[in-house]
Amino acid sequence: MADGPASPGGGSHESGDHSPRSNVREQDRYLPIANISRIMKKALPANGKIAKDAKETVQECVSEFISFITSEASDKCQREKRKTINGDDLLWAMATLGFEDYMDPLKIYLTRYREMEGDTKGSAKGGDSSAKRDVQPSPNAQLAHQGSFSQNVTYPNSQGQHMMVPMQGPE
Amino acid sequence: MVMADEEENGVSIQLEFPKGRVKKIMALDKDVKRVSSEALFLVSRSTELFLQFLAEKSAQVAIEKKRKTVNLEHIRVAVKRHQPTRDFLLDELPPPSQAAKPDKPTQPAGRPKLDPAPRGTRCIDQFFRKPEPENTAQAPGQPPENPAQAQSPENPDQDQAQSPVPVDES
Repeated sequence: MADGPASPGGGSHESGDHSPRSNVREQDRYLPIANISRIMKKALPANGKIAKDAKETVQECVSEFISFITSEASDKCQREKRKTINGDDLLWAMATLGFEDYMDPLKIYLTRYREMEGDTKGSAKGGDSSAKRDVQPSPNAQLAHQGSFSQNVTYPNSQGQHMMVPMQGPE
Repeated sequence: MVMADEEENGVSIQLEFPKGRVKKIMALDKDVKRVSSEALFLVSRSTELFLQFLAEKSAQVAIEKKRKTVNLEHIRVAVKRHQPTRDFLLDELPPPSQAAKPDKPTQPAGRPKLDPAPRGTRCIDQFFRKPEPENTAQAPGQPPENPAQAQSPENPDQDQAQSPVPVDES
């Protein structure tokens, strides 16, 4: 297995590079390793353990996954002259990038999420209220919910475009 | 956010990851302007699914290799087995340190330099070269040498020394 030759894509994460990029703290680039460790342990046998460097690598992989999906959804929004990424864009992005298996569970989650949003409008939970402060909800997406899903089904584009994650920060 | 119970049925709406952190990671892409709450929710949830998938596959690899601790190599194998994950993630993984075997530099064999032969050896070589044509010439040339010796019987030693002279002349 020859891993020596450099990849033409050019990864945004150097191996062993734990120093934060300029203007971006490491704390803001990765999800908390405690949360990652907890979820990983659920998938392991009772006496299973995870090496520390393995946890850190998975931490980077997860951030890369978020950037990968987000970039694809963002490109779709730009093509359609929209400024806000909505849930359907992300479902489409995951299907396009080969993660179709995630769509069914995510649709279930999304349905429940919308139900909860409808029930608790105006008096959301602490976590949800903090989310509302950060992001701006788009009711248009909910109105066009069924239409967008039908569009997603008929999309012929399957893994046709693999967008590489752009380099962050000055070179 | 404290998780009260596990998501065995996947019913819980509670998220494992802090939303602010997920949003910041999404915003690393400068093209990302605004993200709806639904989109943020879906990214958080899909990240959980991806993490579970990666952990389960890595655990399988560790079990196949009779290991209790999941290490980098197990994660690498798990990533390689799933094509979509492999496409965007394989280049991000740190290179395997175990596979990097130090190549032993082949020491160049020092050739024993052939010392120049002394002059005496060269003379001997010259002597060996001349007798060969003499032998070849003597075989058919013996009759003419005999009358030469018979003609000059004064110095028999000189006759032997002069024997190559007629060969040179011929």
